[in-house]
Amino acid sequence: MNKRPDGRNPEDLRPIKIEVGVIQRADGSAYIEWGQNKIYAAVYGPKECLPKHIGNPYRAVVTYNYRMATFSVPERKNPKPGRREIEISKVSGEALERAIFTEKFPNTEIEIDVEVIDSNAGTRVAALTAAAVALADAGIPMRDLISAVGIGKANGQLVVDLNKEEEDAEDAVDIPFAIMPNTEEIVLLQMDGLLTKEEWKILCEMGIKAAKQVYEIQKQALKSKYFVEEL
Amino acid sequence: MRKLVIPGELVSDNSKKAGQHVFVRDGKLYSDCIGLVNESYDSISVIPLEGPYIPNINDIVIGIIEQELFAGYVVNINSFYSGFIPKKNIDFFAKVGDLVSVKIASVNEVNEVDLDSPRILEDGELLEISPVKIPRVIGKEGSMLNILKKGTGCNILVGRNGRIWIKGGDVKLAFRLIKFIESQAHTENLTDRVTKIIEEAKNQSSNVLGE
Repeated sequence: MNKRPDGRNPEDLRPIKIEVGVIQRADGSAYIEWGQNKIYAAVYGPKECLPKHIGNPYRAVVTYNYRMATFSVPERKNPKPGRREIEISKVSGEALERAIFTEKFPNTEIEIDVEVIDSNAGTRVAALTAAAVALADAGIPMRDLISAVGIGKANGQLVVDLNKEEEDAEDAVDIPFAIMPNTEEIVLLQMDGLLTKEEWKILCEMGIKAAKQVYEIQKQALKSKYFVEEL
Repeated sequence: MRKLVIPGELVSDNSKKAGQHVFVRDGKLYSDCIGLVNESYDSISVIPLEGPYIPNINDIVIGIIEQELFAGYVVNINSFYSGFIPKKNIDFFAKVGDLVSVKIASVNEVNEVDLDSPRILEDGELLEISPVKIPRVIGKEGSMLNILKKGTGCNILVGRNGRIWIKGGDVKLAFRLIKFIESQAHTENLTDRVTKIIEEAKNQSSNVLGE
């Protein structure tokens, strides 16, 4: 077993730090530092659904806006939401919708805004992790939190939580992987590259294990808002 | 000490005692929000620490006039939809931005409300806190509210939608106390601590007068 470019073992995560309630005007918010990634997530609502025709009289509509700051990448990024951002917003919003009891708020909208301040691979999973914490902070009824982690293959080795250097390797496979940790239900799964069936089976196990580590950090961040002295 | 739970965390193995803010999965009870577990002899529920205001019938809420129409006023009640009070039922004139206290007469399945018994609130100041913490400000059978009223000499009206209207008396102290209750709503012995703060404030002011 070889060490990875930044000295981690294959199953190690980068250091994660989550803060809750960082944006005062939002109903719920969270800030996450995942390695070099720095992301803010804010939740507004449930509120009146505008324009009215997007509303659903049976459940709430979840809108997820993933945006990257112009200075979050080495070369200046055009602030206009591109193909990638619109796609990530769609899949992440659907992942969160699975966890929320949307039927409790008919005809309303729950808006989740995520802003990437600094990025180094795996921003969509970090953003999803922060958004789940922000939703819990807003007091929106949920089946479970959502814990996400990037898994994949780099330099011939199956690894968890790839950084940018590994993602750019020649044989790199990158899989954003999100689960509801208590039921192990997969809510987000995309893949870039090729894997064999056996490799996927091993990776799935590694991903669930890593996501549960992320869950513990989320749990502690939420609880420490109320009982700092106990932790 | 009550147990603090987050969404999806196991609350109890007994699914027959399901109360509020819990749901059943595979015969076990799980919490659906961040809150404190409250066990009584016939039910297990979670008292939420965060959350929106959901209108209920017979709630007294404080509204802000949003818009004046020919037939009446549109009132923001801090819920998903604004309410409406027709002019023919009322005996006062109001401007945009005025405060009114209203009772919720009915709520439909998409949380739209009908309002009843409007009363205009003249002067006074408004404080907004999280709606789920209002029960702590009122206390058991109004005990906390009575202490606040007696201790500060204020006229206090508490709306279920998280808005509190305060007039007269020591408004500054009342603001401080209510903010304290909001920040400490998850802890125990609140009434004793609030009484202590009121006494300290009284001693301080009498010292200043004595000098």
